[in-house]
Amino acid sequence: MPLILFAAKPATHRLDELTVTARRPLKELGMVKNTIDSAALHENISLSIADVIAFNSSIYIKNYGRGTESTVAFRGTSPSHTKVTWNGMQINSPMLGMTDFSTIPSFLVDQAVIYHGSSGINTTGGGLGGLVSLSTRPVHQTGLELQYIQGVGSYKTFDEAAGLRWGNRHWQLSTRFVASRSANDFKFVNYDKKENIYDSNNQIVSTFHPVERNRNGAFNDLHFLQEAYYHNNGNRAGLAVWWMRANRELPLLTTDYGETSSTENRRREETVRGIASWDHYHSRWNTALKGGITHTWMAYDYARERTPGQMVPMSTARSHVTTLFGHIDGQYNPVDNLFLTTELSLHQHFVDSHDRNVTAADGSIVALGYKEARAQIGASLSAKWQINKTLGISGILRYEVMGTKKSPLIPALFFDAMLLESCNLMLKGSVSQNYRFPSLNDLYFMPGGNPDLKSESGLTYDIAVAWAKKLGAKTVWNGSTGWFDSYIDDWIIWLPTAKGYFTPLNVKDVRAYGVEFATDLTTQPFNDWLLNLNGSFSWTPSINRGDQMTEADLSVGRQLPYVPRLSAAVTCHITHKRWGFLYKWNFYSRRYTMSSNDASITGSLPPYFMNNIALDYTLPLKAVDLQFKIAVNNLFNEKYLSVLSRPMPGINWEFYIAVKFRNNK
Amino acid sequence: MRRHHGIIVLSIIICFLATACMKWEYAGEELFDNTADGIFIINQGNFQYGNASLSFYNPDTKTIDNEIFNRANGMKLGDVAQSMTVYRNQGWIVVNNSHVIFRIDLNTYRETGRIQNLPSPRYICIINPSKAYVSQLWDNRIIIVNPTSMQVTGEITIPNMAPTSGSTEQMILIGKHVYCNCWSYQNRIIKIDTTTDAVTASLPIGVQPQSMVKDCNDKLWVLTDGGFSGNPAGHEPPTLARVDPQTMTVEKRFQMQLNDSPSQLQIDPTGHTLYWINNDIFRMDISAESAPKCAFINACNTKYYGLFISPVDHNIYVADAIDYQQLGMIYRYDSAGNLIDTFHSGVTPGAFAWKGGLDEI
Repeated sequence: MPLILFAAKPATHRLDELTVTARRPLKELGMVKNTIDSAALHENISLSIADVIAFNSSIYIKNYGRGTESTVAFRGTSPSHTKVTWNGMQINSPMLGMTDFSTIPSFLVDQAVIYHGSSGINTTGGGLGGLVSLSTRPVHQTGLELQYIQGVGSYKTFDEAAGLRWGNRHWQLSTRFVASRSANDFKFVNYDKKENIYDSNNQIVSTFHPVERNRNGAFNDLHFLQEAYYHNNGNRAGLAVWWMRANRELPLLTTDYGETSSTENRRREETVRGIASWDHYHSRWNTALKGGITHTWMAYDYARERTPGQMVPMSTARSHVTTLFGHIDGQYNPVDNLFLTTELSLHQHFVDSHDRNVTAADGSIVALGYKEARAQIGASLSAKWQINKTLGISGILRYEVMGTKKSPLIPALFFDAMLLESCNLMLKGSVSQNYRFPSLNDLYFMPGGNPDLKSESGLTYDIAVAWAKKLGAKTVWNGSTGWFDSYIDDWIIWLPTAKGYFTPLNVKDVRAYGVEFATDLTTQPFNDWLLNLNGSFSWTPSINRGDQMTEADLSVGRQLPYVPRLSAAVTCHITHKRWGFLYKWNFYSRRYTMSSNDASITGSLPPYFMNNIALDYTLPLKAVDLQFKIAVNNLFNEKYLSVLSRPMPGINWEFYIAVKFRNNK
Repeated sequence: MRRHHGIIVLSIIICFLATACMKWEYAGEELFDNTADGIFIINQGNFQYGNASLSFYNPDTKTIDNEIFNRANGMKLGDVAQSMTVYRNQGWIVVNNSHVIFRIDLNTYRETGRIQNLPSPRYICIINPSKAYVSQLWDNRIIIVNPTSMQVTGEITIPNMAPTSGSTEQMILIGKHVYCNCWSYQNRIIKIDTTTDAVTASLPIGVQPQSMVKDCNDKLWVLTDGGFSGNPAGHEPPTLARVDPQTMTVEKRFQMQLNDSPSQLQIDPTGHTLYWINNDIFRMDISAESAPKCAFINACNTKYYGLFISPVDHNIYVADAIDYQQLGMIYRYDSAGNLIDTFHSGVTPGAFAWKGGLDEI
């Protein structure tokens, strides 16, 4: 029963609808999730999904700077414990287990839903922390819409995006393109190094921290997304193809004394993802079929200069990763208060990964690596039952097969109860088990892969209250707060060996628990003014609860490395007539780099706050709308680190101009 | 409604104020003047973390000083500190993935010079005040440097070694020759004439010779790790071999189990007793006719990563990396294997150096 408070005004920023939901859809019974809509996702063409999640949730983003790897870890888990789907197809690398969110421009995503803990099990297993579901959607418009945006920013950064949409009664077509490139050579004071000043006897007489540029940080990314949808009489067929190419240098550590010109440290990737879908809608039942493919070619090159101009490769890793995907699901509403679902999905992975050439004992040249294929089958059954007006319960049974390994039957139970109807105050809870199979690198990487690894297993409890209330005629406030408690056993960590390589082992048992809070308030304080305030906060102790390895082991009972106990984010969006102002703030508490939470100089990273602002103005002309925008990041020029020995940029800006042409019939 | 507006404004003000409290942390400079003898512990840190560190242990007072390079110099030691060599009252610390060698004063721990932009340095072997060799990983060269001027002066290309999988590791100076074990994806030791900087001999010794020592008879003992399953360069049982450096021939060989991971071959200061890690700590007299069956010091869920025999009192220092993500533990034993002391050093303690310098004992 959605209640629409405000309609969009053409001259102001759009806020499509504000809803106060008196009854959640049965499909989402008991789930803890937050949805990031297209307004936040398309706010800025320079943003990756990682940037958007950082400021629209309290999930921790481990970030090496723009154009470098960004991973998402929530509820104190590791990046490989976050499952990611794109239009229903898993996009976690089967080779690495995790997803690099920096390679997903938010401009190409229309909706991001973050399912916390157990809530992701309805979609897939293995997300011990949760699931991020990314999707593109048809806009159901008629006529033509054309949009072009160009951004120019600090450090020779150039961003471009274009979108073309066309639709009629049956067809919706969309073409999108994003290109980003930057020298990314920001200046910073390198506090990890000192430059020496020598006298004529080669004695050091003075030292200072040098002002350096981020070295080897350039990137050049290109994305192209084509979608086509056809719908008629309760059927919808869709095709989405996303191609991307990234050519990124990997920045040098702050402690690197090599010369930039004598180092080649570069990662290249080319990925194509395609998915075809057919959905059939009926008053009591729906069914969907999907088929897709992902192919990734990835290259990592590390070389040092031997003589001027002659680079000698030290690593030439190449990998081809292909995944074939098939999916069928059905949903059935036999009566109004009962909802049944079933789902079967298949991912067939092929990985061919090789690194440097090694001279074998017989004198031949052999590339070190592995070639493996693995099938992944997931099936689930669920029943969601609204017992009465107050109470609803649901149960899911999931079963997963990965290669020759099978998970036990994975159960998940959910409930929700309406506590107070006047403010839609609901109590929700869940308990679930989950398993994550080792990635193909974990099992077969050469050298070090460990085929004897066990699956990681998790047990999660959630309890939360959620509310949505209208305050007066022009304000809507909603939010949720909850407690979670997760136990993860056989946590996989890569550790060094005496033979010089790393190997993964099941070494830790972890308890991650804490409180999550999220709120959103939208109000129209005056005519022509619209204000949206969104905030989130997490307190996440993520504790090693395993046995002490020896008496010297100080890690038991301590916070896991790189998991902040506290994180928070606030965004404030104000629109007035043709003007828009966005303020974004986030905070991460101290992150330890050691399992013992040592207070030494390199043992932790200081807490940091980040402030970004953006101001835009829309100028409607006869045929087109023009929009001008300036975004300022790191407003207070904070010196901060997200990852040890990785510099981050100070205050920087980007100016955008957007042209939008509409020919709606 | 006004109350709600107030909450919004207050929230934003709190965000701004919180930002104003932000504080950047970095090291200052501390003055040291430690004339006591003792042991430097080189803590590798974690690869790509830049958290290598240097510790100093005084065996007389049983006191440990951690992060002394950082504290003395107000800067980090770098990424993956591999080894330290002491020569004429100065210490050379080789920091592999920072591509640098720092020279420090042994009492103040202050930097006195550096050689930077090295490809992938592992060890430095100082031949005389104007010449030193620097071994490399993933390179087929040994870099020649001047340890006084701290300049690169030349290089030695190892014959029949591909750069991509090349490796030179530990180096021992005997007379005018330097002997070097070629470890990663390699199978030999080489002999270099320091007067001509030429490789004059090469001896295949087994898959991946990991470490090497010289005994009291000027014989070399070489420990191979045997590689790993799927290693193109080979996978075989590790061995401990005695080599005559003059003739470059293998005189004795002891074989271990196929998947053993021996490392860190050390010798006591008399040159009679060998020590190494193979999960546990083993020791063997150089005249033994068979390898020891029982460990000298048993591992107990420990991850032994570094080993050192004190040149003064023959005490045995064993480094336990624990989980490689916290301060490692050093166990100090007497030569009979009795535990004398334990102390935490830095992350992944992997190498040691006696402050007095082996050349001066």
